[in-house]
Amino acid sequence: MDSKTVQKLLKIVLFTVVISYALDKLVFFSLNKISDEVMTGQAIGKLNQFLSNKDSTEFFVFGNSRANHHIDMSLFKQKGYNMGIDGTGIAYSSTLISTLPQHKKQLIIVHVDTKNFFDSLYDGGDMRALKSKYQRNPNITEALKKNNQLSSLQSFYYSMNYNGNAIGILKNYFKPSYNYKEYNGYDPLYVSKSQESIRDMVLAKSMTSDCLDNYIINAKALKYLKSIKIFSEQNPEKTFIFLTSPIHNDICDEDNKKLHLLMEELGLNYKDFSNLYKNSNSNTYWKDRTHMSDKGAEAFSKHLINTYNEFEYP
Amino acid sequence: MLFNSIEYLIFLPIVFILYWLLKSSYKNQNILLLISSYVFYGWWDYRFLSLIIFSSFLDYYVGLKIDETAEASQKKRWLLVSLCSNLGLLGIFKYYNFFADSFASTMSTIGWEVNDLTLNIILPVGISFYTFQTLSYSIDIYRGQIKATKDMVGFFTFVSLFPQLVAGPIERASNLIPQIENKRTLNTNLIKTGIFQIFIGLFRKVAIADNLGIYVDSVYANQDIHNGSTLLIATVFYAFQIYFDFSGYSDIAIGSAKLFGFNFSRNFNFPYFSKTLTEFWRRWHMSLSFWLRDYLYISLGGNRKGIILTYRNLLLTMLLGGLWHGSSWNFVIWGGIHGLFLSLEKYTFSVLKINTFNALGYIYTFVVVLIAWIFFRAPDFTSASSIIGKLFSFDFGPAFIGDINAFVNAIVLLSLGVLVDLKIVSSNSSLENYGIRFSSLNLSVIVSVIILILCLFYSTAENFIYFQF
Repeated sequence: MDSKTVQKLLKIVLFTVVISYALDKLVFFSLNKISDEVMTGQAIGKLNQFLSNKDSTEFFVFGNSRANHHIDMSLFKQKGYNMGIDGTGIAYSSTLISTLPQHKKQLIIVHVDTKNFFDSLYDGGDMRALKSKYQRNPNITEALKKNNQLSSLQSFYYSMNYNGNAIGILKNYFKPSYNYKEYNGYDPLYVSKSQESIRDMVLAKSMTSDCLDNYIINAKALKYLKSIKIFSEQNPEKTFIFLTSPIHNDICDEDNKKLHLLMEELGLNYKDFSNLYKNSNSNTYWKDRTHMSDKGAEAFSKHLINTYNEFEYP
Repeated sequence: MLFNSIEYLIFLPIVFILYWLLKSSYKNQNILLLISSYVFYGWWDYRFLSLIIFSSFLDYYVGLKIDETAEASQKKRWLLVSLCSNLGLLGIFKYYNFFADSFASTMSTIGWEVNDLTLNIILPVGISFYTFQTLSYSIDIYRGQIKATKDMVGFFTFVSLFPQLVAGPIERASNLIPQIENKRTLNTNLIKTGIFQIFIGLFRKVAIADNLGIYVDSVYANQDIHNGSTLLIATVFYAFQIYFDFSGYSDIAIGSAKLFGFNFSRNFNFPYFSKTLTEFWRRWHMSLSFWLRDYLYISLGGNRKGIILTYRNLLLTMLLGGLWHGSSWNFVIWGGIHGLFLSLEKYTFSVLKINTFNALGYIYTFVVVLIAWIFFRAPDFTSASSIIGKLFSFDFGPAFIGDINAFVNAIVLLSLGVLVDLKIVSSNSSLENYGIRFSSLNLSVIVSVIILILCLFYSTAENFIYFQF
């Protein structure tokens, strides 16, 4: 390699570093500006709506897609917002809970699933879905940093914070998916006529037991759960309800028992509704094995109102 | 170590700098490459390094023996040592469980219950690739096409050179050993084409293939609940996923090798722009298809022994080519479909006295390839049959979209990938040489745009599809 080639190589490397850095910042700050205006869509809009309303809302639901599709906020008297998001877990919920206002009376449902707590591979990576707010929301930034949820490249290429979401943001900016002012975060799952036979086939399929010999609580999940407990202790005005919503046919209940025990040990107000509709309802309550249809969500939400004194019908 | 990992991003520049600091001695460079390659491979599982070292020792020694022996029968004996040892290792690690399981199933159908004969064996990454590479070395010496090398470090480097170690291109000794045994130089053209190809490869793998894979995986995991439209979209996506995944891997391999002054063989030449299946196989995984042609098809007699035996040889080559990909009957069927259509094409060409089809050939080729991919992707024969059944019963209701964000991302990136391919094809250049045309500034802009795309759209698939083979 002669000196001319070395010079050329250095030139390409230097140009690439400078141009890619500049381009990255241009795109990142443009996306920041655009995304702040977006109030619809699961990726950014729902989070923006939550952050802008969190100080004035009385009732929240946190959790994954099951939380999102199973609790119909319109059936409750309290003005509520369902912050359940597909693919998220306890880390995501705990980070958002930490952003709630101090000393304000609020009712909070934390939907938990056994999957998070006994999955040895769970690393709290669901928190990364919040990275679009990195360096823009102090609680989220601190949580992402403290839990090492950012790639080392992220401190150089900021646009990684919008990984996977850029097109969705642009789409929702130019054409919002719904009227966010009337949106309470609950997304019902409707089952069309043509989907009924597929749903019935899925539910009828025999399931093999996925029970493990020994359930070991994932340390990360436990850490996030404990951080919610600490937050609840620091904010006695807030009422926390932990629950697991129904699933179609839970073959293994060892994990549920163990989670129940853990919740008891931590002194958390927890109820497990996994088997609420086991073998006692028709398929109309279900979209698939783990998600209830709009009809199922309605029945379950009414069941919650009847079960807890904290809730009332409108 | 994966090409699309932070580790490789650190590993490559370190080895690159050390390598060119040793430019005064290509032998020292080879020692560095050998150590680096073993680190690269050992990152995955250091225990399997012993297999590569064993295979390298064996073929180094056998090569010397074949070369120095004058007697034909002795040469043949030494070649058999290489063939049996290499294929034996491959057989144990890759095919033992498959044949044990198939044997047990066959016995049970005739009423003979056999105890479970399968073993808990881990398939070493890249074994199919480096086994074929070392085999071709011994066969080439046996055929008198090359001389055995006496440079042990050089030969070991040839077997394990990290850019091509785990998933090819399957390099021939006649191409690579002379490069290893001579001084390498790095010029501006190699830098430009190398960097361009590495980043195009990353774009193909990390942005396109991995995003397509999200939809494909979700549909194929529950194929029984999806209708024909969904399965068709997923299969078309898979056709592009596997192309961009594997060609992306080859691009990073070829591009990385260029930075060390090596020219690897081309492995892909826009295969979906083929009017016949014969042409497809001259453009798809070229290093494997040419290997199968030279060492299997021709060894079986090729087209020299009459029309019937030509078809038999073609079919047998493709069936074994299918089996090379994995120990499952689905891969054999995949190879069989290709073998059957290649034979039919050969017959049609001989009857109609033509060499290729008209523009409709593009559609015909893509459809055959698509059907065959179903067997490649489906977990078992029953699932593949069910998918084909739904497609041909024209059960085309509304398609399942799943995560709309992921679906739209996949469509946008796929369109971008196809446009890039069209641009290069229409320039009458190859991807391998395309980077020459750019000034340093333009190349930096292109690389920067690719980096931005990767930041915005990277997906987190852990492996390259071909690693499992």
